[in-house]
Amino acid sequence: MWDGHPADFDAYWQSTLEELARIPAAPEVDPLPIRSTAFATTYSVRLTSVGPYRLYGYLSIPTGEGPFPAIYFAPKYQSVLELIPQGSSNDLRSRFSTFSLAGRGQRNSDQPFSAMFPGMLTEGINDAQSYMFRGFVADAVRGQEYLQSRTEVDNSRVVSIGNDVALMAAGLHQGASHVVCTPALFFDSMNLATKTGAYPLEEINDYVGSFPDRDKAVAESLAYMDLRGFAPRVGATTLLMADATGGLMDGSALKPVSEAIQGAVTVHDSERSSYKDGMFIEDWIAREFGYEKAIVPKHWQD
Amino acid sequence: MTKSIPEDYRCKVEKPGDFDQYWNDVLSQAAQIPLNAVTVADPLRTSDYIETFQVFYDSLDGVRVAAWYCLPKNRTGRLPAVLFLPGYQSDPPIPKDWARRGYAAISAAPRGKLRSNSQFNPGYPNLLTYNIIDRNSYTYRGFYVDAWRAIDYLLSRDEVDSTRIGVAGSSQGGGLTITTAAMRQEVAVASAGAPYLCGYTDAIELENTYPYEEINDYLRMHPEHRADVESTLAYFDGISFADKINCPIIVNIGLQDNVVPPETGYALFNTIGSADKRLYAYEGHGHEAGRYKHTAVITDFFAEHLKP
Repeated sequence: MWDGHPADFDAYWQSTLEELARIPAAPEVDPLPIRSTAFATTYSVRLTSVGPYRLYGYLSIPTGEGPFPAIYFAPKYQSVLELIPQGSSNDLRSRFSTFSLAGRGQRNSDQPFSAMFPGMLTEGINDAQSYMFRGFVADAVRGQEYLQSRTEVDNSRVVSIGNDVALMAAGLHQGASHVVCTPALFFDSMNLATKTGAYPLEEINDYVGSFPDRDKAVAESLAYMDLRGFAPRVGATTLLMADATGGLMDGSALKPVSEAIQGAVTVHDSERSSYKDGMFIEDWIAREFGYEKAIVPKHWQD
Repeated sequence: MTKSIPEDYRCKVEKPGDFDQYWNDVLSQAAQIPLNAVTVADPLRTSDYIETFQVFYDSLDGVRVAAWYCLPKNRTGRLPAVLFLPGYQSDPPIPKDWARRGYAAISAAPRGKLRSNSQFNPGYPNLLTYNIIDRNSYTYRGFYVDAWRAIDYLLSRDEVDSTRIGVAGSSQGGGLTITTAAMRQEVAVASAGAPYLCGYTDAIELENTYPYEEINDYLRMHPEHRADVESTLAYFDGISFADKINCPIIVNIGLQDNVVPPETGYALFNTIGSADKRLYAYEGHGHEAGRYKHTAVITDFFAEHLKP
């Protein structure tokens, strides 16, 4: 394990999961006709997570006889919640059940707490217990649990897609068969923040610059979130989408993560093209789930 | 190999006969509303090299609009300025990178974005179709004005050289760049990436992805409103504004853009009025529209015209 790994990492997350288990999800599911089509029915879903905190998500179920393979769009570092990510073919919803969840602070899950962007990365960061990402990761686990509780879902084919939180949730809940993770926040964060002026990592520089006496506390909070701590707990087949070669989080830099994951791992260095990277992901999922062709946007088709 | 994109593609949108009258009326209404700008230092986001401020100003319908404003700490004389406009799903970034290059830089959050959503919050998705059958209350009527008034903020600043103002953005920010450069003659130079909000009614047929898919969702629920939707959107389509652009401008598109169809990018570019315009079409790129290579192109283009 890496040098900064907290000795009580497992206990920290175990207590979080126990807290989550004590709170019923209390799902409230309502049809959402405006986002429903001939090939998929969409629902708004409300769930409770630790806090207790009420969350919001979009569930889409294909028309026809299930169970269907599923895509879980784990909460990301962004304000808005999308039904499916911008630029994904809407036809994906004819093949896959999909569930996208807004973690606490994101749009539609922003009562009583509305996160700021930038700002969310350092919210409560001077104390590992109150750091907002502890709850945010619990939210992601709750969403994963909920999706896999649906009878329409083929639990042998569930892929969780997102940034760091997708891999973190997969480490805490052994539900997803596959993970597509694009690390952005929680790998060697204190160190990498010093090498960039770009947000969101710049939030750490802003915070430590303003409160230099809290640097140890910040490092401690971030250590509980570091992907190197979660990787050994991930048994899912994983695609790690790394930075382009030479980037802060390229495949070479991420080796401590990729080599620690227990499931089969593919590492792909970005080709600096959302088209090429996107095609790689869609082809990988299609291949892993046994489909001859991926469902892709019209402008990516032959 | 993906399909080739016709460079002479023409979008269906037709500029309404009363387009200028409509927008002159909107601008007249906006002119009655004082800017009431407030500039608040933000020590948390300020560093040894960059001063960061939170800015708030009034816009159409009395909506209070937020923005980030950055200045290089070591500055002498008046600065060139850049207005950065945000994408549809993203929140406005703090434009420290522009300030590092010697610009006064403002990054506006039009209504509905975080910090500008206490009075108007139609949600995401939904912003694109909110009141879409009524041009007098459609989201983007105020949204466009919110962006344009960031220029007024820059003009109010002593440290800004009013003859050296640029505007830039990608995706929705690209579309807003088009409308801002068209309607604010103070804009000296512009860079529009993957311009969204241009050729709406073509885009919803050329792709099947969000956010344009919001319009298809709406029309599926309300097929009887198709004519009204098309009528409204003609007043807001960047292609209807483009002939008014006189400043030097560059446009970049990705030929495999899965969010903003590249066909609409060509159609827009061919309509831009400026004689000094250049298109960068990136093969093998999606909605990022060649950002990795193109960032340097924008930096050099602004440096050439605005001389930081």
